[in-house]
Amino acid sequence: MFRRRRGPDDFAEEIKSHCELEADELQSEGLSEEEARRRANVEFGNAQTAQERFYLRSRIVWFDNLLRDIKFAIRQLIRNPSFASVAIVTLALGIAANSTIFSWINSTLLDPIPAIAHTSDMITIMRGERSEHPTPPFSYLDFADLRDSTRTFTGLLAYHDDFMAITGSGKPERIYGALVSSNYFEVLGVRPILGRSLESTAPNERLGTAEAVIGYGLWQNHFGGDPSIIGKIVHINLHPYTIVGVAPEGFQGCKSGLRSDLWIPVGMDSQVWGSDRRIKNRDTPWLNVLGKLKPGVDHRRAENELNILMQRLVERFPDAHKGPNTISSDPLWRSPFGVNVYLYGTLPILFALALVLLLLTCANLANLLLVRSVARRREFAIRLSIGASRWRLVLQLMVENTLIAVAGAGLALLVTKWTAHGLSAFLPLTTLPLTLNGRVDRTVLVAAITISLLAAAVSGVLPALRASRLALAPASALKDEALNTSGGIHKSRLAGALVVGQIALSLLLLVCAGLFVRSLQNAQDFYPGFDPRHVFLASFDLEPTGYSRAQGLEFDKQMLLRLKSLPGVQSVTLGDFSPLSYTIHTDFIQPEGYVPRKNESMEVDRGVAGPEYLRTVRTALLAGRDFTDRDNDSAPPVSIINKALADRYWQGQDPIGKRLQVGRQWTTVVGVAANGKYRRLVYNTAPLVLIPMMQSYHRADQVIVYIRVAGDPMAIASAVERTVHGLNTDLPLFNETTLAANMRLGNSFERIAAAFAGSFGLLALILAAIGVYGVVAYATRQRTHEIGIRMALGAGKRDIFRQVLGRGLHFTGLGLILGLMISFALTRYLRGMLYGVGTADWLTFAIVAILLCVATLIACFVPARRAASIDPMQALRTE
Amino acid sequence: MPSQDNPDDRIALLQGTLDLLILKTLVLGPCHGQGIARSIQRQSEEVFFVDHGSLYLALQRLEEKKWISAKWGVSANNRKARFYSLTAKGRQQLVEKTSEWQRLTRAMGLILDGRPSSEEV
Repeated sequence: MFRRRRGPDDFAEEIKSHCELEADELQSEGLSEEEARRRANVEFGNAQTAQERFYLRSRIVWFDNLLRDIKFAIRQLIRNPSFASVAIVTLALGIAANSTIFSWINSTLLDPIPAIAHTSDMITIMRGERSEHPTPPFSYLDFADLRDSTRTFTGLLAYHDDFMAITGSGKPERIYGALVSSNYFEVLGVRPILGRSLESTAPNERLGTAEAVIGYGLWQNHFGGDPSIIGKIVHINLHPYTIVGVAPEGFQGCKSGLRSDLWIPVGMDSQVWGSDRRIKNRDTPWLNVLGKLKPGVDHRRAENELNILMQRLVERFPDAHKGPNTISSDPLWRSPFGVNVYLYGTLPILFALALVLLLLTCANLANLLLVRSVARRREFAIRLSIGASRWRLVLQLMVENTLIAVAGAGLALLVTKWTAHGLSAFLPLTTLPLTLNGRVDRTVLVAAITISLLAAAVSGVLPALRASRLALAPASALKDEALNTSGGIHKSRLAGALVVGQIALSLLLLVCAGLFVRSLQNAQDFYPGFDPRHVFLASFDLEPTGYSRAQGLEFDKQMLLRLKSLPGVQSVTLGDFSPLSYTIHTDFIQPEGYVPRKNESMEVDRGVAGPEYLRTVRTALLAGRDFTDRDNDSAPPVSIINKALADRYWQGQDPIGKRLQVGRQWTTVVGVAANGKYRRLVYNTAPLVLIPMMQSYHRADQVIVYIRVAGDPMAIASAVERTVHGLNTDLPLFNETTLAANMRLGNSFERIAAAFAGSFGLLALILAAIGVYGVVAYATRQRTHEIGIRMALGAGKRDIFRQVLGRGLHFTGLGLILGLMISFALTRYLRGMLYGVGTADWLTFAIVAILLCVATLIACFVPARRAASIDPMQALRTE
Repeated sequence: MPSQDNPDDRIALLQGTLDLLILKTLVLGPCHGQGIARSIQRQSEEVFFVDHGSLYLALQRLEEKKWISAKWGVSANNRKARFYSLTAKGRQQLVEKTSEWQRLTRAMGLILDGRPSSEEV
């Protein structure tokens, strides 16, 4: 099609041939050769016009124009490198902020299960009370019944993930693995790249088959990518399993942001857990359930169906379903299981802030373009007067903006390649297999380019239209600009509006930044209920090294004794959790004499703690006593509760000596501790029960040693290692850290929000100052002549200074008022993310407003000084 | 530029007629632009003056629609010329356009004179 088109040359040739033929004919009719040629040409009319019409008719014209515009735009930008670079860098900052956050959203919320293409028809299912940190909600038997009777799902799968130890194949490793239902891989649509999945274990699901599918990473790192791995044996928690499959690269299980490395049949729980209770009992919830909807079924219908099925189970087995049983479902992007639950509130808000920042950079760019278009007015006027249409002029300017935008997007993507990994930088060292990172893929690329083109359009349209209108009166524009001293009025109105908008948006960003920073500060200053300073932490896991329960207890006892005698050590304890690091578990309780309301959830935070736990972390003991080394197997089971638990269940009674069932074990309450925070600082205080390590050894899947010292906690690390290795040379100590550092995980998301909102706020401040400076400086320069006249007529330097400054302050004032209104209206959406600070925190608003005022004042100061130092004689002569 | 203003409305007036006349001329055999112009002028007894710019645009347009095809060749008096000839599609169009035109003139005649003008012919 393209090749078939005729070129203008061919057409010209045809016209020439026409005239020759006509001349020949006229000649043959009796005219002289010269006359014939003249007549032929005259008769044809204007050949030029015909050619031009031919040219304009061809559809290729717009493309030619575009190429010409692009060439011209590049020349224009090169000719003015300072403008080009400022514009590109400004825009790149705005875009980079967006593409960075989008890259995170893209790889977390939009890609909840890596390596699975379509998750939109999958939902995760919750039973009972909803929270940000639910325990797995289904018992195996309930799950199996639901799976077998549902008609709205193509499949329901169940999984339970936990730490496991693999041995017998090289270096022992502690990994995160999952017990899964036999249909797990089929429902997800994941095909092992080697071997098979676990589906063949279905007939024997309840009893379990000792088979395992390993993750790609584990296969590569632990097994060296052995191609003949299928059929080999791996020991999981000291039991042999046959490796039957290798999962595809990237697949890491069903929890967003957490990596599982190994999958074994759910029935093997009796071996892993050491009892078949979880498989046989209907009252033990421990499985997460995920479903793939049948085509055309929406999640509401599926939810209703499950509720009906669940209700039947509740009626049949009322004793096993005493808690709340309502079933709710979530799309995977906000699944309460995994990391997304913490991100789906934060990331969109950060994205919104980034968009505001982008809008701000657009306003800045628009202002730059406006100033530039006034400077280029003469050029536009000339183009218009020699025949360019206004539309062509606007198009030309839009092409220039698009070039700037594309360059900005390129730069932004380079930055994003680096910042995409920034998310994990906020997470401290942890034993959790977190896989939180953004990446720059095609979606991010497309998003960045779309955003930049939108930005180009938003920032370019008004200035371009204005520029073309400005030049619409070519006569006046071509005249000496001196006549236009007051012609800037129209321009300043738009520029002024832009600056006011900029200040307002900056204020909004700064207010958000201020609120987040204050919230983080509050969170950090807040006393969490324990003293995180001077505490060294290290973790170990005895299970894979083959210790029996008795040996393990003996080891713990010996270790505590030896560690306590180290110089500088004040106290030592153990725990299966550390506060504010997402490691605390929950359990179901039954307090003596308390009658739960119908369907009340009796699930509370539960920690396993060693002797002197409260003393070591310095949590105040309100009544009773701390755990001691006498709280062991031969002593009656005891527990310590916090004040919140006592207040909730034994309001107004003395809890000491009361009986409390924790899980299945009845204990006696021996102590009441002050409230503290165990999950996230932003959460309200929740009830907590502690049970002694020496009486609940099997419930701890890892053991964390807490050592309180006098000085720097990390200084004791090597001494601790020596001591532990003195008892067992092969026992690896992992995650050596301090309590203070470790609890940073608990406010990671607050830190992410504060860091980003903070840097956005700072950028906003700078952009606003630049914007005010630009407009005031430009207006002042435009008015040099006028100022000269004023001074010549007797205005003092002070008057001029005050006038220019006043102009800047005028913008600032309007911007502040507008910004405060916007902020008051919008900050309430941050409520859920703030800690200890209201969304209309007057202090933040005041500080931010003052900060912005000062910044713009400084920005106005320079041009005002320059204006005041104008020499009237010089100014009047510059024309 | 004046040519930009609206080149289309002048063509629109001529479009139907000129296209039809070109097609009609080409029924007799391939011909170049100048020949077509002369032929139309002659056959209309010099009533029509063919604007050459419009003629070539029309030729271009018809070529794009594939009603006619073009090829450089040599004229009777040994000049290089671009010869146009009717395609099958063009032939079919000619029949359609002719009957369309006849219906139009008949209707116009009825309104203007109270009797179909085509009866005159």
